[in-house]
Amino acid sequence: MENIIEINNLCKSFKDVKAVQDISFKVKKGELFAFLGLNGAGKSTTISIMCGQLKKDSGSVVIDGEDIDVNIDSAKRELGVVFQNSVLDKPISVYENLKNRASLYGIKGKEFKEKLEWLDELLELDGILRRPVGKLSGGQRRKADIARALLHDPKILILDEPTTGLDPQTRKKVWEVVARLREEREMTVFLTTHYMEEAADADYIVILDSGKIAAEGTPLELKNKYTGDFIVMYNTKEEDVKSLGKPYESIRDAYRISISDTAQATEIITKNPGLFIDYEITKGKMDDVFLAATGKKLEGAN
Amino acid sequence: MSAFLSMTKRNTALFFKDKGTFFSAMISPLILLLLFTTFLGNVYRDSLMSALPEGLQLDESVIEGFVIGWLFSSLLAVCCITTAFTANMIMVQDKVNGTRNDLTITPVKSSVLALSYYFSTAFVSLLICLVCAGVAFVYLGAVGWYLSMTDVVLLLCDIVLAVMFGTALSSVVCCFLKSQGAISAVTAIVSAGYGFLCGAYMPISSFSDGIRNFISLLPGTYATSLLRNHMVSGALEKMASDGVPEQVVEGIKDAFDINMYFFDESVNIPQMYIIVCSTVALLIGIYVVINLIAGKKEN
Repeated sequence: MENIIEINNLCKSFKDVKAVQDISFKVKKGELFAFLGLNGAGKSTTISIMCGQLKKDSGSVVIDGEDIDVNIDSAKRELGVVFQNSVLDKPISVYENLKNRASLYGIKGKEFKEKLEWLDELLELDGILRRPVGKLSGGQRRKADIARALLHDPKILILDEPTTGLDPQTRKKVWEVVARLREEREMTVFLTTHYMEEAADADYIVILDSGKIAAEGTPLELKNKYTGDFIVMYNTKEEDVKSLGKPYESIRDAYRISISDTAQATEIITKNPGLFIDYEITKGKMDDVFLAATGKKLEGAN
Repeated sequence: MSAFLSMTKRNTALFFKDKGTFFSAMISPLILLLLFTTFLGNVYRDSLMSALPEGLQLDESVIEGFVIGWLFSSLLAVCCITTAFTANMIMVQDKVNGTRNDLTITPVKSSVLALSYYFSTAFVSLLICLVCAGVAFVYLGAVGWYLSMTDVVLLLCDIVLAVMFGTALSSVVCCFLKSQGAISAVTAIVSAGYGFLCGAYMPISSFSDGIRNFISLLPGTYATSLLRNHMVSGALEKMASDGVPEQVVEGIKDAFDINMYFFDESVNIPQMYIIVCSTVALLIGIYVVINLIAGKKEN
């Protein structure tokens, strides 16, 4: 699969603060790429450089085969960004907002009408198109933000914490739309999120810490490298758990035993079949990966 | 071109849709109108009457033509600046609420965005000032019309120039504002302070020498004086033809800032145009340079 984003040895400093320190990574076409890090880790700086809003100190950024130093306009046409906070104009309607932003890409008249019909079908905008953005609920506003990001049919959709503060139903809807875009349009999705279960669904993850890449890989690779497996035992006594001789923690109605890998789980279970009546084997969570890779806990993680 | 027009339209729509912004722009002219109708009008009327030679009977319409003309020249002078500042706050608000990022991720050049802010601000300010000028003409028509066609044309030119000055000044200032607090502070200072600086609340001639000399350094003073000159020159000519001695007319011109002085040097109307036009050109130049530097910080 070809790379749609290639970042090599990217550096950016703000006076004495080294915001991005020699980072390199690649994003493959059509994949869901997760970019994780605490506030100040360098995520937004990297995204701003990719979007041409900030000049880099050194390194290269290639978007869809075009070096942004050579042709930033081409890169801008391939990027759609859903910002963390809605950036549409609140006093005017969703329709007016979309029409204005479309014109900045040279989209007008019949072409705009067609785009709007597609977005309406995709996001069910009908009820909110004529309403001022300021009067919309959080979920409706997010729909409008996504519509704006997709107006020019970008190849890459950057989602900057797209579901923060949204209700579960709207979060689900957002992910349904993302899945559809990936399936139907082979759209590459570049995601930053604080919700670890969303990152766990990514094809590839890069974890940033203090401007450097702390870890990268597929979720499975990261879990295997940075965390072990767990056996969760239900309806059992603590003495029985203790007798296994492995570190454990008590959780509500159960005990969570840390083990190195699935092979060890199999070994323990086969040696003590009488103890394992009601149990499950789970991989480590992305929270554990993040903690192990950076030594820090992701704010808002769940 | 389509992006420029669309952005100009968007900025203009935002100004009129946001009632708070619109009200902020109008608050100074409204306060001024209130002050004039409640007591300042009478103060200036009495002041003018006391300057006239005893026994000289002037038609009341000449007095009203002068006082109301002076009132509206003050109002227009303030309006050109305060409206420009409040309209240009859309540029700052875009930075504060992150909309600027959404605009700069498009292929549109930052220079096009900068131009659209300038033109929408100028358009909005001009529109409001022309409405004020229309009200002034109707009022003067009712109480005492002494404006020639040339006065009207020159007055409209003065309004355009004052709006361009206000827009250019506010554009430069707004480039440095990056927070909601800064927006509120600047709007409040401009709304409250500019009326005094341009002699709208009381004539500059009534200030002390030091303040008068300081105000004469400000280019906006001459934009105000141009408006005054063309708004009341007809009434002053009528006074002269009705027998008011030339010395008295000159005294009135000095007292009501129709004559302007740079320290002790008299500044004539062509010189005033040169000062205001040069300042507008200089401010626009600074605005362009600021945007070029900001553009280089982006990719």
